[in-house]
Amino acid sequence: MRRRIIFDILYLVLSISSFPVSAQEGRNTSHATLVGIGAVNHLDTYLSPLNYKGPQLQFMHETLRYTRWAQGHISMQSIWQGNIAYTKSPSEKGRNYGGDINYSIGWHYNWTFPSNNEAPRLRILLGPQLGANAGVLYNTRNSNNPAQALATLHLAASAAVIYRFHLWKQPVAARYQLDVPLMGLKFSPNYGQSYYEIFSLGNTDHNVCFTHPFNAFSSRHLLTLDFPFRQTTLRMGYLCDIRQSHLNELKYHSYTHAFMLGIVRHLTIHKPRRHTPEGFIL
Amino acid sequence: MLLLVSCVQEEQYNNTPEGNFEALWTIVDEHYCFLDYKRETIGLDWNEVHSRYRARLSEDMTNAQLFEVLAEMLSELRDGHVNLYTPGDIGRNWSWYEDYPRNFYADLQNTYLGTDYKIAASLRYRIFDDNIGYVVCPSFTSGFGDGNLDEVFYTLRTCNGLILDMRNNSGGDLNNAERLARRFTNERIHVGYISHKTGKGHKAFSTPEKQYLEPSDGVRWQQSTVVLTNRQCYSATNTFVRDMKCCPNVTILGDQTGGGSGLPFSSELPNGWSVRFSACPMYDVNMNHIEFGIQPDVATSITDEDRLKGIDTLIETARKLLLQ
Repeated sequence: MRRRIIFDILYLVLSISSFPVSAQEGRNTSHATLVGIGAVNHLDTYLSPLNYKGPQLQFMHETLRYTRWAQGHISMQSIWQGNIAYTKSPSEKGRNYGGDINYSIGWHYNWTFPSNNEAPRLRILLGPQLGANAGVLYNTRNSNNPAQALATLHLAASAAVIYRFHLWKQPVAARYQLDVPLMGLKFSPNYGQSYYEIFSLGNTDHNVCFTHPFNAFSSRHLLTLDFPFRQTTLRMGYLCDIRQSHLNELKYHSYTHAFMLGIVRHLTIHKPRRHTPEGFIL
Repeated sequence: MLLLVSCVQEEQYNNTPEGNFEALWTIVDEHYCFLDYKRETIGLDWNEVHSRYRARLSEDMTNAQLFEVLAEMLSELRDGHVNLYTPGDIGRNWSWYEDYPRNFYADLQNTYLGTDYKIAASLRYRIFDDNIGYVVCPSFTSGFGDGNLDEVFYTLRTCNGLILDMRNNSGGDLNNAERLARRFTNERIHVGYISHKTGKGHKAFSTPEKQYLEPSDGVRWQQSTVVLTNRQCYSATNTFVRDMKCCPNVTILGDQTGGGSGLPFSSELPNGWSVRFSACPMYDVNMNHIEFGIQPDVATSITDEDRLKGIDTLIETARKLLLQ
């Protein structure tokens, strides 16, 4: 009984937080809204040489839809991802508050196996992704270096594998997605530069840095399982978000491991006279 | 290839006497901005300091003993912006004023202020009988706004001169210091330089950038001004005195300032103790270091004889100067 109440409450909350589904003619669109809880490990040597660890709350909203490009083989995916974290130093005397919001939009070419099947079991997606990130990491006891601003723009390679199968006679879709930034720009104060000098005096010094895998190797891994629940589809997953940089001799990392749970709403409209790909998630 | 894109990590020291010692020594070695300058001026050898203090460590030493070693090691830097914060004590080197005459006595100052002085935020002010304005600015930590300054300088507008008493102001917010200094210039003036470290090396600094003082849009002081200083003028007040030295009709009178020209940053040790250190050096208009203070234009000290008579030698000297 208690479990059912919990599921009902979760279903209600996630339904309210989901964006309304909007479908365009001849396109498949799915919206997934996930919330998650996990652990994060922060290092920012501008603030402290120590690793800070603590809980993190995650939010993610994903929109996935097919375009008409390349005979319907290209899908477009946008992801809003936000998080807030409260972390402590090893001695638990230092505290950081952090949060950021991340937006990415990507275009994937889809290969299906078997290719002539209307409901292929395996789908492989590969394509470019543009991303932007903004946030802050605040240390509660520092003086003139109390916080670090996070701001990035990047071009990433994105790949995903979707495998559909049946479990206990129910259709299930498993997906693994990997996003790896290849190049971009990131804000960083110089090694010992104060925000007073940057913003009050207007002195800049290599504060916008070019990033690539050799100075800012990052990756986002998302493993999800979609399965039907009542009139909708639930999604549970694991998020591993690794962000790193070594710029202006300042080291930064944020390692997130989070359990995600949410709801998927998808809509397929078939027009008889027009080629439309099959449902692509379930 | 994989090694080149591996995890970004910083060496994590153990929470042991040795680990905390090495962490503190490394923080200063990589971030402190005056190691080279103090090697030249006071003969500081930071590697030699490591050897000397490392020998005093033992595995079973108490926190109090560890604090003593670490605080003494930091004292070698002779920097008031360098502190070690623990729950029970603060490691410090305050020799920048403790070793010098005070040149300030609150009871004397109160005699001159009287009881009917005005208060504008943290500023206290009045007009002396000889029509000299007197403004006391005890701190830049608790701020004042442009509205406060407009009121103060409008009230004092008919005075023949102004004494700005900065004694015992040990600093605070640089923006407050700049807000006050902007009242004393009618044009944009070059007042100094600032730079920052660009890496771990002792000589890794950015090209110094010019610092300018912009005139205030509010009421600006046009008469002669004497700024009173003593050894407790430190940090943001030291920078304020540097700026005022470049303003027209301003005389710095009293003792040398205490210094403190490095903008302090914070870091921490594995055991949770916090450390503060100078990170960004500021210079005067001729690119000279002002870490050890700024010389006054007129050197004056409070004499014992005057003090016994209830006379503040610095205020009286400033009044004579302004009435000449």
